[in-house]
Amino acid sequence: MDESLLGGVRVLEVGGGFAAAFAARWLSGFGADVVRADPLVESLTADEQVYLLAGKRRMLANQRELRALALAADIVIEDQKPGTLGEWGMSPLALRAEKPSLVVVSVTPFGQSGPYATYAADNIIAFAMGGLMSLTGHPAREPLMTGGSQAYCLGAMNAFGAAVTALYGAMIQGEGDWIDISLQEAAAGMLELYGPGGAYNGLGPHLRSGNHVRAVWAIYPCADGFAGVCALERQIPGLFAAIGDPELQDPRFRDPLQRPLNDDELQAKLYAWFGDHTKDEILALSPKFKVPFGAVLTPGDLLESPSLAERGYFDEVLLPDGRVATVPGRPFLGFPWTPPSILHETAADSAAVRAEWLGLQG
Amino acid sequence: MKRLPLAGVRVLDLTMMWAGPYATRLLAEMGAEVLKIESPSAWDNIRTLIPLEGIPEPWNASWYFNDYNRDKKSVTLDLAQARGRELFLGLVRQSDVVIENYRASVMDNLGLGYEALRAARADIIMISMAGFGKFGAERDHVGFGPIIEQMSGLASLTGYGDDGVPYKTGVSYGDPVAGKAAASAVAMALIKRQKTGLGVHVDLGQRETMSTLIGEAFVAASLRGEQVAQHGNRDPRFAPQGVYRCLGSEQWLAISARTDAEWQALAVVIGADSLAGLSFHERRARHDELDGLLAAWSAEQDPQDAMERLQRVGVPAGRVLDSEKIHDDPHLAARGYWVELAHPRMHAWKQPTTTWRFFEANPQLRRHAPLFGEHTREVLSSLLGVSEAELDTLQAQAVIGDAPLNAGPG
Repeated sequence: MDESLLGGVRVLEVGGGFAAAFAARWLSGFGADVVRADPLVESLTADEQVYLLAGKRRMLANQRELRALALAADIVIEDQKPGTLGEWGMSPLALRAEKPSLVVVSVTPFGQSGPYATYAADNIIAFAMGGLMSLTGHPAREPLMTGGSQAYCLGAMNAFGAAVTALYGAMIQGEGDWIDISLQEAAAGMLELYGPGGAYNGLGPHLRSGNHVRAVWAIYPCADGFAGVCALERQIPGLFAAIGDPELQDPRFRDPLQRPLNDDELQAKLYAWFGDHTKDEILALSPKFKVPFGAVLTPGDLLESPSLAERGYFDEVLLPDGRVATVPGRPFLGFPWTPPSILHETAADSAAVRAEWLGLQG
Repeated sequence: MKRLPLAGVRVLDLTMMWAGPYATRLLAEMGAEVLKIESPSAWDNIRTLIPLEGIPEPWNASWYFNDYNRDKKSVTLDLAQARGRELFLGLVRQSDVVIENYRASVMDNLGLGYEALRAARADIIMISMAGFGKFGAERDHVGFGPIIEQMSGLASLTGYGDDGVPYKTGVSYGDPVAGKAAASAVAMALIKRQKTGLGVHVDLGQRETMSTLIGEAFVAASLRGEQVAQHGNRDPRFAPQGVYRCLGSEQWLAISARTDAEWQALAVVIGADSLAGLSFHERRARHDELDGLLAAWSAEQDPQDAMERLQRVGVPAGRVLDSEKIHDDPHLAARGYWVELAHPRMHAWKQPTTTWRFFEANPQLRRHAPLFGEHTREVLSSLLGVSEAELDTLQAQAVIGDAPLNAGPG
């Protein structure tokens, strides 16, 4: 018996973009049979393909087949320009009318409706329009895009969450739904205090504050790289104890109302302290003083992390040329995870999928 | 789907700050009944994180608290007191999900670890979302969202690329990322229970969830030993791409030419027709020069007009919408994204609707965040049959309460 949570669940990934591919990756890891309808022109980089496509079956489908595959699926995840599936004779509404239990998740830069619905966009455009970019970067320079493809990732996480939530709803109610995920909206609803603050106060926008929101909420250069601290009021005593400078006990630093007035002086002290300590030294103080210290680690550092190894975090992916890549694994523990261990080549599974999903031979 | 997918699901929410409450807000949007549990003496600091001077009961008048806690009910219970724990376990018996984002050891130390919850209800679903997971060498590390971002590898990839400085995202990015994942873990757990009758304990290490967002960088590091590279606002695949200053104070436009055709259209709009024939490799080699031309053009443009003009000719362009302008964006308005909900202590303001737009189940914001302890008596009497007399005693003992005992700066 298949013990994986999503064993027997069929997922069709249509579109080929980063967001749909990432959402479907998690579904695959949790046991779903994911078929990626490969695009005619691949938009993912080679490294993205290794990470996002491993573990999936891949085929080249014509429009007629694509419609049949969608109706053979439990979940369709697609990131085409709004209206495209309809042009192909498989609009989500039509698919749902034919198969009421079907879950369709559309993940697009601006959603299915509204004046920008068919706007051209890639990751940076969606990241800008979602508001996060205005808050990121050095105040004296241009707004900065966060690394990787974060607008796509946020869309993917929402697409995955909505898909499994709708799948549960379909198990209970017998009916699926069509879910419209907009990359812009995925970010616009998570602007921390700046979002509701901007809406409530009308005091004008909050702009980027770089790595120094406050002296005690910042990233600093340290002896062997960069490290950071994020302390709330209750953690200030621990932070100052960890640093050990008796002058920090002065009310101009200890008093929450006086501290903001002396932020520059406090920042100078923290610059000096961080500069004298290594990442490992700083991290060792976190559990001891219950202070949120961090270090700017690279993927290479994390691949060597004993703690992540102990938690069995990483997966290995075998490439067609025999090389093996190590990639992040399950997003959380608690359910069987099938490491997506083999990267199939494009269209490699066309015949098998036609036979299994469509009952067609040859 | 006629009803919301999580209708009938009851969630006991012990989370505070952003990551956990964001997860349970999503669950509430999907129809779950979320009981937010706080102690009169240990409550969600986000209520007073933004000082509101001169406002009575500031813990009940925070737009920031409201943003993460709408559509929930507020129940006070001091879990440090035996009777508080007893009542909590009584609620566990009648609930589907318990979610917490304490440091890894806290629930166990309270005697409320997974086994204790299971003893109360065999198929309980427990979601733990400590920064670095429930076990492992780093389990006792403390982390907020920006720490998670640094420790996940993401911050090392963010930067202008010319100064070697890594940058944090402008929000506590680890929080909503963990929150979105935790909400999906609840749906997964409900699927499991439906299929097998069994509950589950989910161990979500926030750093691990975050690292999944940069998987391709791990491929580069593991396959080729590549050192991290910060690309600023450029994508190695596209050129030109960047962010360009427009008319107005701190108004910027992001532009990305992914194809020769998009570049040709862009070149014409900015009056650089003579360069329209540049190949991708030429554009990349001359990226700084093209940035100069784009910046000179954009400096004379209204950002909205420029975006619309470029989009009309098929060029990807988008405003860097700031925390004020985003609330006036015509597209979000047309989609009904901003909703004004009444609140008994605050004037109405534009709040984001759910990101999970189910066309048929059609989730809608229902109610403002609850006042402190607003539903304590209703919940304890209706679910556990606690009498009025005992409720009064519990209040006198500060097991429950209708105001924080120690309101101060967060």
